[in-house]
Amino acid sequence: MTVATMDVAVAATLGRAAALRNRRLVRAAGWGALTAAVLWFAGSQIGMNPFAIARGIPFMWDFLTRLFPPDLGYLPLLTRATIESVQIAVWGTLLAIIFSIPLSLLAARNTTPHLAVFHVTRLFLNALRSINELVFALIFVSAVGLGPFAGVLAIAMHATGMLAKFTAEEAEGIDRGQVEALQATGAGRLQVILFGVVPQVIPAFVSYSIYRFDVSIRSATVLGLVGAGGLGFSLFKTMKLFKYHETATCILIIFLLVLVSDWICAKLRERIL
Amino acid sequence: MISIRNLSKTYPGGIVALRDVSIDVKEGEFLVILGPSGAGKSTLMRCLNRLVEPTAGRILHNQEEITGHRRHLKEVRRQFGMVFQQFNLVKRLSVLTNVLTGRLAYHSAWRSLLYNFSHEDKLIAVQCLARVNMEHKALQRADTLSGGEQQRVAIARALAQQPIVILADEPVASLDPKIARQVLTYLKQVAAELGITVLCNLHQVEYTREFAERVVGMSRGTVVFDGAVSDLGEDMLHRIYYRDPGAGDQEGAPA
Repeated sequence: MTVATMDVAVAATLGRAAALRNRRLVRAAGWGALTAAVLWFAGSQIGMNPFAIARGIPFMWDFLTRLFPPDLGYLPLLTRATIESVQIAVWGTLLAIIFSIPLSLLAARNTTPHLAVFHVTRLFLNALRSINELVFALIFVSAVGLGPFAGVLAIAMHATGMLAKFTAEEAEGIDRGQVEALQATGAGRLQVILFGVVPQVIPAFVSYSIYRFDVSIRSATVLGLVGAGGLGFSLFKTMKLFKYHETATCILIIFLLVLVSDWICAKLRERIL
Repeated sequence: MISIRNLSKTYPGGIVALRDVSIDVKEGEFLVILGPSGAGKSTLMRCLNRLVEPTAGRILHNQEEITGHRRHLKEVRRQFGMVFQQFNLVKRLSVLTNVLTGRLAYHSAWRSLLYNFSHEDKLIAVQCLARVNMEHKALQRADTLSGGEQQRVAIARALAQQPIVILADEPVASLDPKIARQVLTYLKQVAAELGITVLCNLHQVEYTREFAERVVGMSRGTVVFDGAVSDLGEDMLHRIYYRDPGAGDQEGAPA
């Protein structure tokens, strides 16, 4: 290439780059305007209003002053409910872990025995995930009666949906080479999954399980609202009876519980991964 | 003896990987298949152990057809050990367990559920590791090894299948020259000791001259050379690596 033709080539390339950038800017501006319009419309529909917050401040202050100070004498009465919340979270998560092992393998394209099974399982998992724990709790309360067992089942269902779906997606993203090597040995389908897929998925599965336990703890503190055991019932009851100092104690305990679970989960993650 | 007869493979989407390939491989031979990337070497290997189903043609092993019978799939794959460019060890498993996976095809899935192997299998696995001088790292996790070590373990895994043939698909393409020669030496030596036939894909002329006895040269899915390594002249290399003018592809160049 002579110097002259080189200059022409450089100029042409820079010109194309500038044109591309301009096209992108115009497109970004268009999408930005559209997004802003949609957000504005949605906000006005659901009555978002900064002035309402300002007007509400005195009422919030009133509520807060009624909460303080927390009634620490109520603490001993909450011990059982607190432990129950933890028990619900532990069993709910454990059941979810057990259910999601086979379900995640059925719900991953590369491990499912049949594409139809894959679609049905994915649909089922999405259904589980789309139903809130409180809604599940309502269903199970009417099925197995008031109490913590309904809470365990509610958490197990919702958590299975999440754990199995995340794990299935992890299984779909694994290194194909390691799997191909096992296929090449003549190993059967199940053997390939056990030795080629499972070891690759385990770290993420453990990590998701720990995270899910953390979420379950939070859920288990409110399931009592619908009579499915744990701290939520006390929270609900004291509010209905206008015993706000006791409500404050409940909130405090929930906060502490979440802090402790967060700390334990962080430690677990450190140890295992 | 393996006879590849008029083998063709067209992938969905119309990419032709193999056109009418016929090769005879003698028992115990160390055969190098030489060619640039995209010549069809990998596809050819994967047709042999049926990771890929050919579009047309036949593969015979001692006059017995390998292609077509779903029933024999497990048996066929067990008889063909495979070594990969990226080693493809299961990274989170120990070296020993990786070699033991070479034994999976001998057992039912139910026994594998407990990740348990027989004493005999473990004995075979450690012996295979010893053949590539890797037994001292048996309990380490596979991803703690260097590339050359991983490939030696991968060779041991293939040996654990007690195969008739080892298919080595660009086994040294990810290794530096010193380690590459070491790995090829192990592969050739161990196979010779055990009477295993080796088909080895390479794109480097240098290694081919050093290690091959017989060479099959491939270009654009066809065999363009089949003969002793001493007959591999410059004009032939040119035919393997530089395509006809107008083919419009400059992929691959001799090392």
